Amino acid sequence: MKNSFDEKILEEAHDWVNADQKVVLATVIQTWGSSPRQVGSRMIVNEKGDFSGSVSGGCVESAVVRECIGLIKDNKPCKKIEFKVSNESAWEVGLACGGEIAVYLEQIN
Amino acid sequence: MRLQTLKSIIEKKNNKSEFAIITNLKTGESEIFENDNPLSKELEAYSDQINEFFKSKKNGVIENTEIFVETYVLPIKVIVVGAVHIAQYLVDFAKSLNFEISIIDPRGYFASEQRFPDMKIINKWPDEAFKEIKTNENTALVALTHDPKIDDPALQHALKKKFYYIGALGSKKTHENRCQRLKEAGFSDEQIKSIYGPIGIKLGGRSAPEIALSIIAQLVSETYNKK
Repeated sequence: MKNSFDEKILEEAHDWVNADQKVVLATVIQTWGSSPRQVGSRMIVNEKGDFSGSVSGGCVESAVVRECIGLIKDNKPCKKIEFKVSNESAWEVGLACGGEIAVYLEQIN
Repeated sequence: MRLQTLKSIIEKKNNKSEFAIITNLKTGESEIFENDNPLSKELEAYSDQINEFFKSKKNGVIENTEIFVETYVLPIKVIVVGAVHIAQYLVDFAKSLNFEISIIDPRGYFASEQRFPDMKIINKWPDEAFKEIKTNENTALVALTHDPKIDDPALQHALKKKFYYIGALGSKKTHENRCQRLKEAGFSDEQIKSIYGPIGIKLGGRSAPEIALSIIAQLVSETYNKK
Protein backbone atom coordinates (compact mmCIF):
# COMPACT_ATOMS: atom_id res chain seq x y z
CA MET A 1 0.00 0.00 0.00
CA LYS A 2 2.82 2.35 -0.80
CA ASN A 3 0.58 5.03 -2.11
CA SER A 4 -0.34 8.13 -0.26
CA PHE A 5 -1.68 10.14 -3.16
CA ASP A 6 -4.80 10.15 -5.28
CA GLU A 7 -4.88 12.62 -8.10
CA LYS A 8 -8.50 12.15 -9.08
CA ILE A 9 -7.66 12.62 -12.77
CA LEU A 10 -10.14 9.97 -13.89
CA GLU A 11 -12.92 11.74 -12.00
CA GLU A 12 -11.96 14.94 -13.80
CA ALA A 13 -11.92 13.10 -17.14
CA HIS A 14 -15.46 11.97 -16.44
CA ASP A 15 -16.54 15.57 -15.72
CA TRP A 16 -15.00 16.71 -19.01
CA VAL A 17 -16.79 13.98 -20.96
CA ASN A 18 -20.04 14.99 -19.28
CA ALA A 19 -19.40 18.55 -20.46
CA ASP A 20 -19.33 17.20 -24.05
CA GLN A 21 -15.60 17.49 -24.45
CA LYS A 22 -13.46 15.00 -26.33
CA VAL A 23 -10.94 13.60 -23.90
CA VAL A 24 -7.65 11.76 -24.34
CA LEU A 25 -6.10 9.98 -21.40
CA ALA A 26 -2.28 9.99 -21.34
CA THR A 27 -0.61 7.50 -18.98
CA VAL A 28 3.06 6.89 -18.20
CA ILE A 29 3.42 3.15 -18.90
CA GLN A 30 7.19 2.69 -18.80
CA THR A 31 10.18 4.59 -17.48
CA TRP A 32 13.93 4.11 -17.82
CA GLY A 33 16.60 5.94 -15.81
CA SER A 34 15.65 8.94 -13.72
CA SER A 35 12.23 9.94 -14.88
CA PRO A 36 10.22 12.59 -13.09
CA ARG A 37 6.93 10.75 -12.66
CA GLN A 38 6.24 7.15 -11.85
CA VAL A 39 4.45 4.56 -13.97
CA GLY A 40 0.69 5.13 -13.78
CA SER A 41 0.95 8.95 -13.67
CA ARG A 42 -1.72 10.56 -15.78
CA MET A 43 -2.86 13.64 -17.61
CA ILE A 44 -5.96 14.38 -19.65
CA VAL A 45 -6.24 16.58 -22.72
CA ASN A 46 -9.30 17.87 -24.59
CA GLU A 47 -9.74 18.90 -28.22
CA LYS A 48 -8.91 22.53 -27.40
CA GLY A 49 -5.61 21.59 -25.77
CA ASP A 50 -6.72 22.21 -22.18
CA PHE A 51 -4.92 19.75 -19.95
CA SER A 52 -4.84 18.60 -16.35
CA GLY A 53 -2.44 16.35 -14.44
CA SER A 54 1.08 15.51 -15.58
CA VAL A 55 3.29 12.82 -17.09
CA SER A 56 6.59 14.57 -16.37
CA GLY A 57 7.79 17.62 -14.49
CA GLY A 58 6.57 19.92 -17.25
CA CYS A 59 9.21 18.71 -19.73
CA VAL A 60 7.07 16.92 -22.31
CA GLU A 61 3.51 18.02 -21.57
CA SER A 62 3.28 20.41 -24.51
CA ALA A 63 4.29 17.65 -26.92
CA VAL A 64 1.76 15.31 -25.32
CA VAL A 65 -0.98 17.94 -25.76
CA ARG A 66 -0.11 18.23 -29.49
CA GLU A 67 -0.15 14.45 -29.92
CA CYS A 68 -3.49 14.18 -28.14
CA ILE A 69 -5.10 16.85 -30.31
CA GLY A 70 -3.76 14.93 -33.34
CA LEU A 71 -5.31 11.71 -32.05
CA ILE A 72 -8.70 13.42 -31.71
CA LYS A 73 -8.46 14.99 -35.20
CA ASP A 74 -7.47 11.69 -36.84
CA ASN A 75 -10.07 9.89 -34.71
CA LYS A 76 -7.62 7.16 -33.69
CA PRO A 77 -8.29 5.11 -30.54
CA CYS A 78 -4.77 4.93 -29.12
CA LYS A 79 -1.07 5.56 -29.62
CA LYS A 80 2.19 5.00 -27.78
CA ILE A 81 4.85 7.72 -27.74
CA GLU A 82 8.32 7.74 -26.24
CA PHE A 83 10.44 10.60 -24.98
CA LYS A 84 14.18 10.41 -24.55
CA VAL A 85 16.92 12.59 -23.12
CA SER A 86 16.56 16.10 -24.49
CA ASN A 87 19.01 16.76 -27.25
CA GLU A 88 21.35 19.68 -27.75
CA SER A 89 18.80 21.82 -29.50
CA ALA A 90 17.14 23.82 -26.76
CA TRP A 91 13.78 23.87 -28.53
CA GLU A 92 13.49 20.14 -28.82
CA VAL A 93 11.06 18.59 -26.39
CA GLY A 94 12.71 16.06 -24.12
CA LEU A 95 13.52 15.13 -20.59
CA ALA A 96 16.22 17.34 -19.14
CA CYS A 97 16.64 14.83 -16.30
CA GLY A 98 18.19 12.24 -18.61
CA GLY A 99 15.44 9.66 -18.28
CA GLU A 100 13.16 8.06 -20.82
CA ILE A 101 9.43 7.56 -20.62
CA ALA A 102 6.75 5.87 -22.69
CA VAL A 103 3.34 7.50 -22.64
CA TYR A 104 0.18 5.77 -23.81
CA LEU A 105 -2.58 7.91 -25.28
CA GLU A 106 -6.15 6.65 -25.51
CA GLN A 107 -9.39 8.36 -26.38
CA ILE A 108 -12.33 7.97 -24.04
CA ASN A 109 -15.25 6.84 -26.15
CA MET B 1 -10.88 3.49 -22.78
CA ARG B 2 -14.59 3.05 -22.96
CA LEU B 3 -16.67 5.56 -21.04
CA GLN B 4 -18.39 2.65 -19.32
CA THR B 5 -15.04 1.38 -18.02
CA LEU B 6 -14.15 4.85 -16.77
CA LYS B 7 -17.47 5.03 -14.91
CA SER B 8 -16.92 1.60 -13.32
CA ILE B 9 -13.43 2.61 -12.18
CA ILE B 10 -14.77 5.73 -10.48
CA GLU B 11 -17.55 3.71 -8.87
CA LYS B 12 -15.08 1.13 -7.58
CA LYS B 13 -12.85 3.85 -6.18
CA ASN B 14 -15.85 5.35 -4.38
CA ASN B 15 -16.78 1.94 -2.99
CA LYS B 16 -13.23 1.54 -1.71
CA SER B 17 -12.57 -1.69 -3.51
CA GLU B 18 -9.18 -2.97 -4.59
CA PHE B 19 -8.81 -3.62 -8.32
CA ALA B 20 -6.57 -3.27 -11.36
CA ILE B 21 -7.11 -1.97 -14.87
CA ILE B 22 -5.63 -4.14 -17.59
CA THR B 23 -5.10 -2.42 -20.92
CA ASN B 24 -4.23 -4.06 -24.21
CA LEU B 25 -1.91 -1.39 -25.63
CA LYS B 26 -2.38 -2.66 -29.19
CA THR B 27 -6.13 -2.26 -29.30
CA GLY B 28 -6.74 0.26 -26.51
CA GLU B 29 -9.29 -2.11 -24.96
CA SER B 30 -9.22 -2.26 -21.18
CA GLU B 31 -10.92 -4.34 -18.54
CA ILE B 32 -11.20 -4.28 -14.77
CA PHE B 33 -9.54 -7.04 -12.78
CA GLU B 34 -10.71 -7.99 -9.29
CA ASN B 35 -9.58 -10.75 -6.98
CA ASP B 36 -12.52 -13.08 -7.45
CA ASN B 37 -13.50 -12.24 -11.00
CA PRO B 38 -12.26 -14.36 -13.90
CA LEU B 39 -10.27 -12.65 -16.65
CA SER B 40 -11.46 -12.46 -20.22
CA LYS B 41 -10.27 -15.24 -22.55
CA GLU B 42 -7.83 -12.92 -24.21
CA LEU B 43 -6.03 -12.22 -20.92
CA GLU B 44 -6.35 -15.63 -19.27
CA ALA B 45 -2.89 -16.67 -20.39
CA TYR B 46 -1.36 -13.80 -18.43
CA SER B 47 -3.23 -14.36 -15.18
CA ASP B 48 -0.06 -15.28 -13.22
CA GLN B 49 1.72 -12.08 -14.21
CA ILE B 50 -1.38 -9.97 -13.63
CA ASN B 51 -1.81 -11.48 -10.16
CA GLU B 52 1.81 -10.74 -9.39
CA PHE B 53 1.36 -7.05 -10.25
CA PHE B 54 -1.89 -6.98 -8.28
CA LYS B 55 -0.41 -8.55 -5.16
CA SER B 56 2.69 -6.36 -5.12
CA LYS B 57 0.58 -3.25 -5.91
CA LYS B 58 2.73 -2.36 -8.88
CA ASN B 59 1.99 -0.72 -12.21
CA GLY B 60 3.72 -1.70 -15.42
CA VAL B 61 3.82 -3.44 -18.77
CA ILE B 62 4.01 -7.24 -18.55
CA GLU B 63 7.39 -8.25 -19.96
CA ASN B 64 7.45 -9.09 -23.68
CA THR B 65 3.78 -8.20 -24.08
CA GLU B 66 1.65 -5.21 -24.93
CA ILE B 67 -0.37 -5.45 -21.73
CA PHE B 68 -0.34 -2.68 -19.13
CA VAL B 69 -1.45 -3.30 -15.56
CA GLU B 70 -2.43 -0.48 -13.23
CA THR B 71 -3.36 -1.36 -9.67
CA TYR B 72 -5.56 0.68 -7.40
CA VAL B 73 -4.83 0.46 -3.70
CA LEU B 74 -7.25 1.24 -0.95
CA PRO B 75 -6.94 4.59 0.76
CA ILE B 76 -5.20 4.57 4.12
CA LYS B 77 -7.60 4.98 7.01
CA VAL B 78 -6.69 7.83 9.34
CA ILE B 79 -8.68 8.18 12.53
CA VAL B 80 -8.59 11.63 14.06
CA VAL B 81 -9.66 11.97 17.66
CA GLY B 82 -10.82 15.51 18.32
CA ALA B 83 -12.86 17.59 15.89
CA VAL B 84 -10.63 20.56 16.68
CA HIS B 85 -9.33 23.42 14.53
CA ILE B 86 -6.25 21.42 13.42
CA ALA B 87 -8.54 18.60 12.27
CA GLN B 88 -10.29 20.98 9.86
CA TYR B 89 -6.96 21.64 8.10
CA LEU B 90 -6.03 17.94 8.17
CA VAL B 91 -9.21 17.23 6.24
CA ASP B 92 -8.20 19.86 3.67
CA PHE B 93 -4.69 18.47 3.21
CA ALA B 94 -5.94 14.89 2.98
CA LYS B 95 -8.14 15.76 -0.02
CA SER B 96 -5.26 15.45 -2.47
CA LEU B 97 -3.77 12.44 -0.66
CA ASN B 98 -4.92 8.86 -0.48
CA PHE B 99 -6.01 9.20 3.15
CA GLU B 100 -9.54 8.53 4.27
CA ILE B 101 -10.19 10.49 7.44
CA SER B 102 -12.76 9.59 10.12
CA ILE B 103 -13.21 11.92 13.07
CA ILE B 104 -14.21 10.86 16.56
CA ASP B 105 -15.35 13.42 19.11
CA PRO B 106 -17.89 12.89 21.88
CA ARG B 107 -18.36 16.64 22.31
CA GLY B 108 -21.39 17.73 20.29
CA TYR B 109 -20.35 21.32 19.62
CA PHE B 110 -17.05 20.21 18.11
CA ALA B 111 -18.45 17.41 15.96
CA SER B 112 -21.02 19.61 14.22
CA GLU B 113 -21.63 19.06 10.53
CA GLN B 114 -21.18 22.74 9.84
CA ARG B 115 -17.56 22.61 10.94
CA PHE B 116 -16.91 19.47 8.87
CA PRO B 117 -19.14 19.36 5.80
CA ASP B 118 -19.25 15.97 4.01
CA MET B 119 -17.16 14.33 6.71
CA LYS B 120 -17.72 11.15 8.62
CA ILE B 121 -17.85 12.29 12.25
CA ILE B 122 -18.60 9.84 15.01
CA ASN B 123 -20.10 11.74 17.91
CA LYS B 124 -19.26 9.09 20.53
CA TRP B 125 -16.59 8.19 23.05
CA PRO B 126 -13.65 6.33 21.42
CA ASP B 127 -14.51 2.90 22.91
CA GLU B 128 -17.98 3.09 21.37
CA ALA B 129 -16.80 4.76 18.16
CA PHE B 130 -14.21 2.08 17.37
CA LYS B 131 -17.01 -0.48 17.24
CA GLU B 132 -18.19 1.29 14.07
CA ILE B 133 -14.84 1.46 12.29
CA LYS B 134 -12.91 -1.45 10.83
CA THR B 135 -9.27 -0.97 11.77
CA ASN B 136 -6.09 -2.96 11.21
CA GLU B 137 -2.32 -2.59 10.96
CA ASN B 138 -2.75 -0.25 7.98
CA THR B 139 -4.68 2.27 10.06
CA ALA B 140 -3.28 5.50 11.52
CA LEU B 141 -4.39 7.39 14.64
CA VAL B 142 -4.01 11.11 15.20
CA ALA B 143 -5.07 12.08 18.73
CA LEU B 144 -5.71 15.81 18.99
CA THR B 145 -7.80 16.56 22.08
CA HIS B 146 -4.91 16.30 24.62
CA ASP B 147 -7.66 15.41 27.06
CA PRO B 148 -6.78 12.06 28.66
CA LYS B 149 -10.45 11.12 28.98
CA ILE B 150 -10.82 11.17 25.20
CA ASP B 151 -7.30 10.52 23.84
CA ASP B 152 -6.18 7.73 26.16
CA PRO B 153 -8.81 5.11 25.29
CA ALA B 154 -8.15 5.77 21.58
CA LEU B 155 -4.37 5.45 22.05
CA GLN B 156 -4.83 2.21 23.96
CA HIS B 157 -7.04 0.82 21.19
CA ALA B 158 -4.49 1.82 18.52
CA LEU B 159 -1.58 0.25 20.44
CA LYS B 160 -3.48 -3.01 20.92
CA LYS B 161 -4.47 -3.14 17.25
CA LYS B 162 -0.91 -2.23 16.16
CA PHE B 163 -1.78 0.78 14.01
CA TYR B 164 1.18 1.65 11.75
CA TYR B 165 1.17 5.26 12.88
CA ILE B 166 0.07 6.67 16.22
CA GLY B 167 0.56 10.34 17.02
CA ALA B 168 -0.64 12.44 19.94
CA LEU B 169 -0.79 16.21 20.27
CA GLY B 170 0.54 17.89 23.40
CA SER B 171 3.67 19.42 24.89
CA LYS B 172 6.62 17.31 26.05
CA LYS B 173 5.27 17.50 29.58
CA THR B 174 1.78 16.43 28.49
CA HIS B 175 3.33 13.55 26.59
CA GLU B 176 5.44 12.45 29.58
CA ASN B 177 2.31 12.26 31.71
CA ARG B 178 0.54 10.37 28.95
CA CYS B 179 3.38 7.85 28.71
CA GLN B 180 3.25 7.36 32.48
CA ARG B 181 -0.50 6.65 32.35
CA LEU B 182 -0.03 4.13 29.54
CA LYS B 183 2.73 2.43 31.51
CA GLU B 184 0.43 2.13 34.48
CA ALA B 185 -2.20 0.68 32.16
CA GLY B 186 0.24 -2.11 31.35
CA PHE B 187 1.77 -1.07 28.01
CA SER B 188 5.44 -1.84 27.37
CA ASP B 189 8.12 0.82 26.90
CA GLU B 190 8.51 -0.30 23.30
CA GLN B 191 4.81 0.18 22.62
CA ILE B 192 4.78 3.59 24.30
CA LYS B 193 7.88 4.70 22.39
CA SER B 194 6.14 3.95 19.10
CA ILE B 195 3.78 6.88 19.71
CA TYR B 196 4.80 10.11 18.01
CA GLY B 197 4.53 12.71 20.74
CA PRO B 198 4.66 15.63 20.52
CA ILE B 199 3.09 14.87 17.14
CA GLY B 200 4.40 16.08 13.76
CA ILE B 201 7.75 16.92 12.21
CA LYS B 202 9.46 20.10 13.41
CA LEU B 203 8.46 22.98 11.16
CA GLY B 204 8.50 25.69 13.80
CA GLY B 205 4.98 27.00 13.23
CA ARG B 206 2.32 26.89 15.92
CA SER B 207 -0.84 27.84 14.05
CA ALA B 208 -3.51 25.25 13.27
CA PRO B 209 -2.69 24.89 9.53
CA GLU B 210 1.03 24.70 10.26
CA ILE B 211 0.56 21.97 12.86
CA ALA B 212 -1.76 20.12 10.48
CA LEU B 213 0.92 20.33 7.77
CA SER B 214 3.58 18.96 10.14
CA ILE B 215 1.28 16.06 11.10
CA ILE B 216 0.38 15.18 7.53
CA ALA B 217 4.08 15.36 6.54
CA GLN B 218 4.96 12.88 9.28
CA LEU B 219 2.08 10.65 8.24
CA VAL B 220 3.21 10.55 4.59
CA SER B 221 6.81 9.92 5.62
CA GLU B 222 5.83 7.02 7.91
CA THR B 223 3.51 5.59 5.27
CA TYR B 224 6.49 5.19 2.93
CA ASN B 225 8.86 4.11 5.71
CA LYS B 226 6.80 1.35 7.15
CA LYS B 227 4.96 -0.05 4.18
